[in-house]
Amino acid sequence: MSHHFIEFDDVFFSYPGGHEALRGVSFRITHGEKVALLGLNGSGKSTILLHTNGLLLPTRGTVNVGGIPVTRRTAPDVRRSVGMVFQNPDDQLFMPTVEEDVAFGPLNMGLESAEVHRRVADALHRVGAEGLEKRAPFQLSGGQKKAVALATVLSMEPDIMVMDEPTAELDLRARRRVADIIGSFGHSCLIATHDMALARELCTRAILVADGRIAADGPTAEVIDLFEAGV
Amino acid sequence: MKREVSKVEKALTALWAMHSGSGKAPIGTPALLIVTLVYLGLMLSVAPEALARLLWFALYPIVMAPVVGEQYGRVFVRSLAVLPFVILIGIFNPFYQTEVAFRIGSVTISRGWVTFMSILVRALLSVQALLLLVDSVGFAGLCSGLRRIGVPALLTTQLMMVYRYMTVLLQESLDMTRARQARGYRGNMSLSMWGTYCGQLFLRTVARSERIHRAMLARGFNGSMPVLAAGEVWNRRDTVTLVAVTCVFALFRWGPLPALFAFG
Amino acid sequence: MHMSDALLSAPVAVAADVVAAGLLVVASLRIRKNASENAVALMGVMGAFIFAAQMVNFSVPGTGSSGHIVGGVLSAALLGPWAGFLTLTSVLIIQCLIFADGGLMALGCNVLNMAAMTALVAYPLVMRPLLRYPAAPWRVMTVSVLACVVGLELGACLVTAETVASHITALPPGRFFLLMTGIHLAIGIVEGLATGAVLLFVQRSRPELLQPDAVRHDSRRSVRGVVIGFAVAAVVIACGLAFLASDEPDGLEWSIARTAGSPEIEAEHTGMLSQAAEAAQQSTALMPDYEGSLAGIAGTVMVLILVWALSSVLVRSCHRHKNEA
Repeated sequence: MSHHFIEFDDVFFSYPGGHEALRGVSFRITHGEKVALLGLNGSGKSTILLHTNGLLLPTRGTVNVGGIPVTRRTAPDVRRSVGMVFQNPDDQLFMPTVEEDVAFGPLNMGLESAEVHRRVADALHRVGAEGLEKRAPFQLSGGQKKAVALATVLSMEPDIMVMDEPTAELDLRARRRVADIIGSFGHSCLIATHDMALARELCTRAILVADGRIAADGPTAEVIDLFEAGV
Repeated sequence: MKREVSKVEKALTALWAMHSGSGKAPIGTPALLIVTLVYLGLMLSVAPEALARLLWFALYPIVMAPVVGEQYGRVFVRSLAVLPFVILIGIFNPFYQTEVAFRIGSVTISRGWVTFMSILVRALLSVQALLLLVDSVGFAGLCSGLRRIGVPALLTTQLMMVYRYMTVLLQESLDMTRARQARGYRGNMSLSMWGTYCGQLFLRTVARSERIHRAMLARGFNGSMPVLAAGEVWNRRDTVTLVAVTCVFALFRWGPLPALFAFG
Repeated sequence: MHMSDALLSAPVAVAADVVAAGLLVVASLRIRKNASENAVALMGVMGAFIFAAQMVNFSVPGTGSSGHIVGGVLSAALLGPWAGFLTLTSVLIIQCLIFADGGLMALGCNVLNMAAMTALVAYPLVMRPLLRYPAAPWRVMTVSVLACVVGLELGACLVTAETVASHITALPPGRFFLLMTGIHLAIGIVEGLATGAVLLFVQRSRPELLQPDAVRHDSRRSVRGVVIGFAVAAVVIACGLAFLASDEPDGLEWSIARTAGSPEIEAEHTGMLSQAAEAAQQSTALMPDYEGSLAGIAGTVMVLILVWALSSVLVRSCHRHKNEA
């Protein structure tokens, strides 16, 4: 239970070029919550996501995942409990076959071969991608790629799922499928998205980011209204 | 430019086709790799004058093709693609090696023609052996086979990644070319335009590598690529086949085969 | 200029394969030791980039004909010598395996000629000392051309040496050498201009990428040391082969001429290796005179056709049996 929360405490972050992307971000996501992260491009959404598993470290302030402060040293452990799905599936499917991609995470965790195979089969089943094990990434459709990308993270059995634009560039059917998959998760989820309908459907709570700060944090419908009004 | 576009499309098609093998390889991949190397090593050590001996080596692709589920005729035709360049160099042999090799009645065949034919046969057979290897095993299988015979993991990982992202980058470059076409550019680019084009492709490549790296880290990457245990293991059939085939090749190379037709 | 298996003899090809394999092992160790974390991802995608870049032609200024880059010096300039070498090697291997561009046994030669000479010799010895960023455009272009010409000419020399030492082609070595070096001078200039063009673009837009922190430089000494070591080994091997092989390409089984009534033609065996081989052959072969008779060739071809017909039928039915079983 205690691992399933993410806490940002007054986080500041500047990119090496000097651009200050986060200016005092604070929020807390607890067990089982599905939270949408909304905001315009460049508002800081992706930067926030990259802090949840230590890919970026704050220049000031702390990020806490399940009680563990995220540092360079703790990042590998944090990454076992925070599963991150990136926007472009081509960036996450870098192995020759689907099977090897989904097995990548569990293998890095040092699991036994039998357990790895079990998790691969399980993860593929959960995203409806059974039978695609031996396929190469370029043999998959856009929707299949997204599903497999999800599977590559699910196989690590994380406590928290963090997703960047899960429905971007998908047709209606693929979008429906991905939305259903996410809906079936029991994990805490933090979903950065432009897809307002998805946010309304799946998330009870939304956080609005603007100019590196939290502009709003509350029930999804209200935050979306605020967002659209402000734009 | 149309030629360029079709060149890239052809490359993409070849890449897609290469992914998985026919699945009909008679022995494990590492063994097949070794067989191919032994074959090439022995075949290429035959002197160009000994055309009769060299021709015996053709038995390998002829027999191997149906074994891995292909027709030798088709493999042969595909192998013809390497001939142009080889003919260009080899055609000089008849000019420089004018000693007589055979006489049929009043027609003389010079040594140069014999060695020229040898060059062609060598080119064809080596490509055929390669085609059969890759067709039966597939590229992904080939990389894991290479790793199993001791090729450094960094290199096999590199091969897999290049292969994986070649399709992506070729597609990207195709899109950029089509965009240029749409804007009315014809023919080849100027050097400075090409420099900009490749420079942009390079920058996008670096950005992509950053994203891939992040995705790898997010899934626990710690510097070396993990390996999913392959189903196949070197077994006795591999050893027996390897030994038997090596003996056959040795027979081709040193045995008294050309003497079987000892008349005339 | 991908070398084909057809023009290489087994000893030359294998020697080159061994040297190239050694360099690759060293490269792997060096990269693992020195490179930063993202080397795997970067080299992988860069290999794909080099391949894509090779496929796009440009107009050669002044001639109007098409040119394209090979990318050895460019790889090294963007990734460092060892990573550049490994990346270009991976491209060559893939070209061989997937597009049958260059022979499998000839890979060692191709790796040495095209990847090693550019990334491991021309770049560290010519480009790196002469080019400090930020640099004026004329300087980038001049040094690029110089480095590429050196790299490609060295490659051309190797191609000549490998071809001549193999004794398969009858082209006179002198003429072949001139042809190769002449062609590669032109190609080198073009490659240098193209390489310079890309480097200039990167310097304008993201200059920090030209000090590859991504895959760190080795100390100059370490690259030079290893490459010199291998160069010495390669030269020793090459000299050994040249010494053993005869001057006049005469082949080992040159006792073919069996014509009705005409005397046998003995080749001038001036090389130790061919003398030894001939002695061995005469003691082991049953009927050396028929090694290459015309009837032998014809007979062999008939055997091949017969086996072809039989094997297609037999194996196909065997497969069918297996499927039905």
